Amino acid sequence: MHELSIAEALIEQVQRELNRAGQRGPVKRLELCVGRLSGVHCSSLRFAFDLISPGTIVEGAKLEIAEAAAVCQCRGCGSRQTIDDLVVACPQCGSPEITIEEGRDLLLRGIELEE
Amino acid sequence: MKLVVATNILKANDQLAAENRARFQDAGVFAVNVVGSPGCGKTTLLEALFGRLAGRLRPAVIEGDIAGSIDAERIEALGIPVVQINTDGACHLDATMIGSAVRQLDLSACDLLAIENVGNLVCTAGFDLGEQLRLVLLGITEGDDKVVKYPAIFQGSDALILTKADLLPHTNFRVERITADLRRLAPKALLFQVSARTGDGLGPLVEWLMGKLPKSVA
Repeated sequence: MHELSIAEALIEQVQRELNRAGQRGPVKRLELCVGRLSGVHCSSLRFAFDLISPGTIVEGAKLEIAEAAAVCQCRGCGSRQTIDDLVVACPQCGSPEITIEEGRDLLLRGIELEE
Repeated sequence: MKLVVATNILKANDQLAAENRARFQDAGVFAVNVVGSPGCGKTTLLEALFGRLAGRLRPAVIEGDIAGSIDAERIEALGIPVVQINTDGACHLDATMIGSAVRQLDLSACDLLAIENVGNLVCTAGFDLGEQLRLVLLGITEGDDKVVKYPAIFQGSDALILTKADLLPHTNFRVERITADLRRLAPKALLFQVSARTGDGLGPLVEWLMGKLPKSVA
C-alpha cells in the first residue's frame, strides 16, 4: 500500500523535474536509489509503478533501482560497518552505542529521455 | 538525453509538510502527530488528555481513518472541533491531506492540534505532516518487542507512550525490555506509561506536553 504512494510521488517528481528542464519526455528509463532501511520494497515499488504508470509521462519507462547499503557507526569501537538489518548492537564489538547513518534514502537519481 | 537529479522522492510531501509547519507556527498552533497500531488507544488517550487539559488550552483534532467517522464523533461529543479524513484505503496520512483538512479548521481558535494518524506502525513513519511533535503509542497487549520489530516509527518519534498500563500485571510485557530497546534504537525518545482508564501516568505526560507548547499558551 505504502509503495503505491511512493510510486505516485515518484511520477509527480519526474513531471516536476521535466517541467524544470523544459522537457516533455517520453521517459525511457528512471534511475532510483533505495536505501535498505528506507522501508520501501523494490518489488512492491515496481509492481505499483507498473500499475499506475500507463497513461502518464513514464509509461513504458524502465525502472532501474540501485539498493543502497545501510551503514552504522559505533561509538564504542569506532568502526563503521555495512549492515543488512536494523541492528541494535555493533556487529563488531557488540556495543549498543551505535548510530545508523546511511540506508534510509529514497532518491530519484536520473531520468533518461527518448531521443 | 539524460537528466541527472538527486531528489528525494518524497520531496513534494516534505515541502508541503514544511508549508503546514509554517502555517501552524504563524497561527500559534502546536501540532502533534499521534501514531500507533489500530486499537492501541489513540482516540482514548486523546479523550483522556483533553479532559486534563480542559480550560488550559483550546484543542482541535484531525482524525485519519481508512473509512468511517467513529473517532471524529467521539471527539465531537467532547465539544472539540474535529475534521475527519477518510483515506479510502491509503495506510497513512500525508502532508497534502493535512493541508486540506486544516482549511476546514479555525486555527485562530486553536492552540493544540492533535492529528490522529491511520492505525499503522509502518507507513506512517515515512510521511512528515508538518507536526512539531510526534507521539507513538503502543498498547501493553501488543508486546514488548515492537521497538526492535518496527524501529523506524520509534526512531522518528519524540516520545513512546505505553498505553493500557493497567493491564501490565496480566501480561508478560517487560517494561525494562522496551526501555532498553528504546534507549538503543531511539535514544532521543522519552518514555511514558499511562492508563487512560484509571488516569495513572497522565499527569507527567500532560505536564511534558504543556512544557513543549509555546509560552503564550502554557
